[in-house]
Amino acid sequence: MIRTIVRRLLVGFATLFCVYAFTFLMVIVIPGNPFASADRNMPPEVVRALEARYDMDDNGAYFVQFLAGATHLDFGPSFQYKDWTCSQIIAQSLPVSLTLGLLAMLIAVLVGVPVGVYSAVWRDGWFDLSALGFVLIGISLPTFVTGTMLLTVFAVHLKTVPIGGWGTVMHLPLPALALSLPFMAYIARLTRVGMLDALGSDFVRTAVAKGLPKRVVIFKHVFKVAFLPVLSYLGPAAAQAMTGSFVVEKVFSVPGIGQHFVDSALNLDRGLIMSTVLVYAAIVIVFNIAVDTLYSFVDPRIQGSAR
Amino acid sequence: MSLFRTLMVLSCMTLALIAAAYSIGDGDGRADFTYVNSAGIGTLDPASITWKQDIRVASNIWEGLTILDPRTGAPIAGAAELPEISADGLTYTFSIRLDARWSNGDAVTAGDFVRGWRRAIEPGSAGDYAFFLTDHVVGARAYYEWRTAAVADLSSSQTGSDAWRARFSRHAALLDERFAGVGFRAVASRTFEVRLVAPCSYFLDLCAFVALLPIHESIEDLRIDCEGSGITAEGLVVYDPQWTKPDYDESGYPGLITNGPYLLDAWAFQRRLRMRVNPYFRRSDSLSCRTIDMAVYGDLNAAILAYEAGDVDFLPEMDVSYGHELAGLAMSGARPDFYNPAVFATYFYLFNCADATVEGRRNPFVDARVRKAFVLALDRRLIAERVVGRGERPSGNVVPLGCIAGYDSPRGLEYDPDEARRLLADAGYPGGEGLGEIDLLYNTGFIHERVCTAMAEMWKRELGVAVVLRGKEAKTFSEDRKQRRFMIARAGWYGDYGDPTTFLDLFATGNGNNDSGHSDAKYDDLLREAAQETNIATRLSLLAAAESRIIRETLPALPLYQATQMLAINPRVSGLYPNARLVFPFRYVTTKP
Repeated sequence: MIRTIVRRLLVGFATLFCVYAFTFLMVIVIPGNPFASADRNMPPEVVRALEARYDMDDNGAYFVQFLAGATHLDFGPSFQYKDWTCSQIIAQSLPVSLTLGLLAMLIAVLVGVPVGVYSAVWRDGWFDLSALGFVLIGISLPTFVTGTMLLTVFAVHLKTVPIGGWGTVMHLPLPALALSLPFMAYIARLTRVGMLDALGSDFVRTAVAKGLPKRVVIFKHVFKVAFLPVLSYLGPAAAQAMTGSFVVEKVFSVPGIGQHFVDSALNLDRGLIMSTVLVYAAIVIVFNIAVDTLYSFVDPRIQGSAR
Repeated sequence: MSLFRTLMVLSCMTLALIAAAYSIGDGDGRADFTYVNSAGIGTLDPASITWKQDIRVASNIWEGLTILDPRTGAPIAGAAELPEISADGLTYTFSIRLDARWSNGDAVTAGDFVRGWRRAIEPGSAGDYAFFLTDHVVGARAYYEWRTAAVADLSSSQTGSDAWRARFSRHAALLDERFAGVGFRAVASRTFEVRLVAPCSYFLDLCAFVALLPIHESIEDLRIDCEGSGITAEGLVVYDPQWTKPDYDESGYPGLITNGPYLLDAWAFQRRLRMRVNPYFRRSDSLSCRTIDMAVYGDLNAAILAYEAGDVDFLPEMDVSYGHELAGLAMSGARPDFYNPAVFATYFYLFNCADATVEGRRNPFVDARVRKAFVLALDRRLIAERVVGRGERPSGNVVPLGCIAGYDSPRGLEYDPDEARRLLADAGYPGGEGLGEIDLLYNTGFIHERVCTAMAEMWKRELGVAVVLRGKEAKTFSEDRKQRRFMIARAGWYGDYGDPTTFLDLFATGNGNNDSGHSDAKYDDLLREAAQETNIATRLSLLAAAESRIIRETLPALPLYQATQMLAINPRVSGLYPNARLVFPFRYVTTKP
């Protein structure tokens, strides 16, 4: 077990390095100069000296220097927000996204899984059909639509929560709900399909034939098998939710990390591009390892195949 | 059931984690006054500030020699009394107020102004507004150019090598001696003297600008220094960029110290910035707003909703897709809390006047007749009223009308499609034949796309030319425009100070912002003559002649309208005056509960 985790971690570091190298390559081929100002001018001599100062005239040195800094979480200065370092920006915005993402995943699992279970058990009943409608809406409506609708209903008309921003507990529910909807819908769908598969299998028929109560069959036998695909989806999904969503953050004015993925690229903010990508990659890797580990707890047979 | 139990335990742990993470939130209640900033803060370093929203914060936490009157936009006494100006108009002597204090209680001295102004012209710390000093102050240009050349020299040699060492020590030894030749200095601890190259009727206006603010001596501890010289190995003046933080404490730094009516209390990145009354500011007890919050709403729609819900008091910008409807509400009086002032800015398009070919295609706009034809064929009234429709005043002028006292704006060209066709035929393109496809570069977003579509349609109808729209994202757009990879390009300019030259300089030969490549000896002569003219009225009439030349004859630009700015002020707030320069000093603000 431990050996597996250690090996996965080592592979994770290698992956992280590849991600870094590839991002670096992308960053240096982007045309444009982060020191150039849009409207006015800086003497080219000074721009060159500043580039030299930040090792940007020498890609090899920059590659090594950034990597060396990154190993102790020092990602250097941001070129767009000159008063901040990339580490400070991430330190301020990542907790916001983590909080929001965790809450969103919690909602998604706590609602999605029971909905999936009940839809499967009462297949084609009114609950299943209305759940299907809900799932379709959750998957197909973009977040900026659902988010704006939630805002209009709960913040503008009912005035139960503030319009947007961050800082009090009341700022949490709406963006978390908006962020959770697509995940929730997908989880409900995965659970339902898994349950239906399992319900038709021989061991379930045997259990029912043995005279076990329906409740025990469903929760002890069927659900355990049906939950596996959900679990493997949870890893990447949680990583995605917790590294922020550009749309949700814009709509609800949440100061999370998601906006920096987009803005740093638009601003040619090299350090911030690379540090946000690295943080995202690291979170994805960690969550995948965590989910695989959980997997082998839920289904001990998996451990063998992981090797 | 064990899996369910595990799920429940995991959920509880998650909730606990959320609660823990949430304790980071800021919970010190609502400020006396809250305003919206939709873009966050770029930097609070006064020497390199360029964004309006950064200027708004900086000019409330610092105070320059002069400040701008919120009603008229005219310069009034700030941290110093209004100066004594010598008879020849060349020497300004400022006496700093006796009661001018930094937020830690220190007296504001002339040396603090020297420090601030010097940062504005030192390569490394200097920003886009270094020209305020290099254009006007004795010796500033020579010093700036000497320093820039030295930076080029030092950064080209390997740091630490013998060649570098020799150059570096030679340069560092000369620094103070050369700086003594720059015409601003502390005559006494509270007397600051400035010597100008030529009389400048708007110099006090410049003194109010953020690049010319004083800087407290505490930041010297954060200077990045090579061998005790005060400059880096590349010859740059660089400070630890964190010095603008209120809570930064590296190497004994006390955190940002400022001299304005407010001080920076807390600053969370892209989230919130709180200002609090500076207890050492003169008569600080009389300031009505004790705390001010700058709230960041990345999406202006959300900001407008927050304003409507009463969460924020002041929305300094409302550039949304339904802006024309909001402007309609403001103009009809249906919403007396909405304002739509005409601002000191012009929305225009540029012609590429310099390059005979653009990306391999022939550029017909090197011929001034073609440029004039394109201007005459455009009904700018239709564009301003129907396409944009937010109360903009259509204008054929580059300098906004009625914003500068004593400046008699020349008349721009009127809509005249017949003359346009005649000129085009005259230039060898009858009915638009032989012109080929015209390339129109703009940045996507805002209303530019709609304006460009309308212009293309008008040119097609009146002149028979095919215009291809090329929309680009902001950074690549400015790169393309700077490199003159366009035939016609979107532009716009916001005046930096109350003088026509802030607009007219854009079309002078060799100006760094002259993206049109326009070069006209007569125009340059008029500008030069005006710069040397001591009589204010004569000077302004020379500038008017210069403007007339570019809006009637040489036409590097196609002005469309004077921009407006939608803003909203909660009726419980008084002391904010919608004005053309968009100056909003919060020290005058009072709020009713």
